[in-house]
Amino acid sequence: MAKYITKRILMSVVTLFIIIFTLFVLVRIMPGDPFPVERMTAEMIELKRIELGLDRPIPIQFADYMAKLLQGDLGNGTSLYNGAPIMPIILVCMENSFKIGVMSILFGSGVGLMMGIAAALNRGKFIDRFCTICSILGVCVPSYVFMIFLQYFFAYKIPFFPYFFDPSNFFFSAIMPAVSLSLISIATVARFTRNEMLEVLDSDYVKLAKSRGLYGFKLIRKHVLRNALIPVVTVIAPLVVDLLTGAMVMEKIYGVNGLGKLMVDAIAGEGIDYNYVLALSILFSSLYIGIMLILDILYVIIDPRIRLTAKEKV
Amino acid sequence: MKPKLKRFFIFPLIGLLFLVTACGRGTSENELKVMLGSTVVTLDTAHMQDSYSFEVVADCIDGLMQLDEKGNAIPAIAESFEVSADGKEYTFHLRDAKWSNGDPVTAHDFVFAWRRHCKIADEYSFIFDSTVACIKNAEAVIKGADPSTLGVTAKDDKTLVVSLDAPVSFFPALMSFPSFYPINEKFYNSVKEGSYGTSPDTFISNGAFTLDSYIPGTANIALKKNESYWDANRVSLNMLRYQVVSSSDNALTAFKNGTLQVVKIAGEQVEHIKSDSELSKQLSFIPEGSLYYIAFNQDPKNHHGGVLANVNMRLAITNAIDRNSLVKNYLMDGSLPTYTAVPQKFSANVKTGKFFSENQDRYKDYVSFNLEKAREHLDKAKKELNRDEFNIHLLYSNDSGDRITKIVQAVKSQLEANLPGLTVTLQPVPKAEYLRNFSTDNFDIAVANWSPDYDDPMTFLNLWTTSNAKSTEYWSSAEYDKIISDCSTDNLAINYDARWDAMYKAEKILFEQAVIAPLFTNTNVILTSPKVSGIEYHTAGVDRVFKSAKVK
Repeated sequence: MAKYITKRILMSVVTLFIIIFTLFVLVRIMPGDPFPVERMTAEMIELKRIELGLDRPIPIQFADYMAKLLQGDLGNGTSLYNGAPIMPIILVCMENSFKIGVMSILFGSGVGLMMGIAAALNRGKFIDRFCTICSILGVCVPSYVFMIFLQYFFAYKIPFFPYFFDPSNFFFSAIMPAVSLSLISIATVARFTRNEMLEVLDSDYVKLAKSRGLYGFKLIRKHVLRNALIPVVTVIAPLVVDLLTGAMVMEKIYGVNGLGKLMVDAIAGEGIDYNYVLALSILFSSLYIGIMLILDILYVIIDPRIRLTAKEKV
Repeated sequence: MKPKLKRFFIFPLIGLLFLVTACGRGTSENELKVMLGSTVVTLDTAHMQDSYSFEVVADCIDGLMQLDEKGNAIPAIAESFEVSADGKEYTFHLRDAKWSNGDPVTAHDFVFAWRRHCKIADEYSFIFDSTVACIKNAEAVIKGADPSTLGVTAKDDKTLVVSLDAPVSFFPALMSFPSFYPINEKFYNSVKEGSYGTSPDTFISNGAFTLDSYIPGTANIALKKNESYWDANRVSLNMLRYQVVSSSDNALTAFKNGTLQVVKIAGEQVEHIKSDSELSKQLSFIPEGSLYYIAFNQDPKNHHGGVLANVNMRLAITNAIDRNSLVKNYLMDGSLPTYTAVPQKFSANVKTGKFFSENQDRYKDYVSFNLEKAREHLDKAKKELNRDEFNIHLLYSNDSGDRITKIVQAVKSQLEANLPGLTVTLQPVPKAEYLRNFSTDNFDIAVANWSPDYDDPMTFLNLWTTSNAKSTEYWSSAEYDKIISDCSTDNLAINYDARWDAMYKAEKILFEQAVIAPLFTNTNVILTSPKVSGIEYHTAGVDRVFKSAKVK
């Protein structure tokens, strides 16, 4: 098991390195440069290029960048926010995005699970149909429609929640953004939970457990949920990354200073900021790789059968 | 559902409800919440280049001078100043003001900030050189010379002497512009390199407000009243909160429910607001001093046959645009149709109090809406170019909102209807691409926009000199260049009336040769809550000032 995990971690590091290198080269050869041109002359731009070391060959620039990165230094922006250090800015955006993301995942998977379980236990009845309709709607309706709807009704028509996100009143003002983002996870989790539950409920060992007199919560928790959860976890994992890396539209509508907006600013501002694009891509890819890693380990914990096969393989 | 299972659902729900109701929050007194159209990119004056950053830094820092509500320069950190007889040396006497960390504001703070600004040589460094402020040696320092040679010295802690290469008639007003704000050197050196002005911990103020919460790019900025401000009695707000809102629909709803007390909205919302008697009272139109115009690429080898190198073609276009209809039927936001190169309601004459472009008929022989004349010019152009059909491309940036789309659609339909034989192909590109195409002359005609940097017609007229990087549309006039440079050197700069006349003469050259076709002066549509008063609006430099703002 330890060997398996070590191998997975090593693989992740190599993948990350390849990603960084590819991105580094791509960012530099793609059209556009970091300098807004409206009030700058060609000489001024050339001076800035030299100042930032962009006139050197790409491999040297890359070596330089990696050396700094390994010391945990993401450097300064090349144009965005006038070359302020990247780290503190990313940290603030990350905090906002992560907190809202986590709230949304907890809410989304919580509600999704409950809906899925309720639907499965009441198969064919009203609750089942209601939950199915809800999850179809959740997948079909674009989330920004829901966002604007929430904002309009619960901040304007019934002014209960704050209209915009406000970091000084974090939890309260983050509820609407988080709920509006969780729509997709609710729908996806509910659908998967229902299907998996139904499959497990029909299985022989649940029938056996029932015949032994087990019922209710204990049966669901010990015998049904545990088996039904594995595929659900697989679905949640990519959702987690999506939600953590920020949601541009949500951030725009609720005025959240998050990672999605930062990425858009870095690419679509007056100039492309090489270092922000890189730093954010590294962050996103390592998140993705990290979550996948955790997922693999989680499988082993949730389902002992995988642990056994892993042991046999090793 | 089994009883135990019910608990599984009910407990989390009750918990959530409890949390939600426990977290409500009221607003404190004397707090003003205003909309900001875009994020504040920096609070470091040496790097600043957008009006939002200028506005927020002006809330926090006072320069030597400030503008009153009418736009006249009045003392701020400088208690008084003297000018030498030749207008080339200014001596400012500083008052006893303090930085928010307790340090006194000294003349050295200005010297440090100005030298640093020229050394960094970012976009706005031109404001120090001979195009604007004419500070001695500014050009050399911007190009890399020793910053200590810049024409600014601290005679003692409270006396600042500025030497100029040429007299500048609007110099005192210019000192209210954020590029000339001071920076406390000791504090600057105490923060990590590159992080000055990126958070409340790395920024100190000497102005009306201090920074309470800020990070570059944030959507929420909070400013707190600065108790140690030298003019603290004037400030009645305790808190000034900025909320970045990019959609005007969002802004309007937030205004209606009281979340924001001052918002800027779009033209198409004006009709809706006018139908509401309550809201329409809170509506105001504030001229912005920024000019929208059509730029012509006069390159004779241009890929569409260089038709715009023909002056009659340009005059035909200039006279075929119905600016009234453009503003009334397309924009609907109170923008002002403009027939001059300097926008309306901008730069008042210090003697007469009249705006530079008060008389919009001054060049009506060249620029107006006159179909007869337009067709006359078109026929001449057709003869001279030996062609009957023209197809020209209209370049514009498509990521700056619906407004620009409306403008280009109006221009296209008017030109095609009024000038037979002419077709206009729209060429929308992202802003960065637009700027690149514009500066490298890769276009036929383009809708351009320029906002003034300082309160003098020269901020516009400078655009079309041969040396200006922004105006390489293959037009150059030695006569025009001479007038413009004369206006900034001894003989004219010192004589206010003669300079004013010379600028009109230069403007006339622009229209005789139809170098540009002005469209309109931009106007902001503002909704202000009836509880709010005392916000000052300016057309150049800092757009809004909240020092005297009050909330009932």
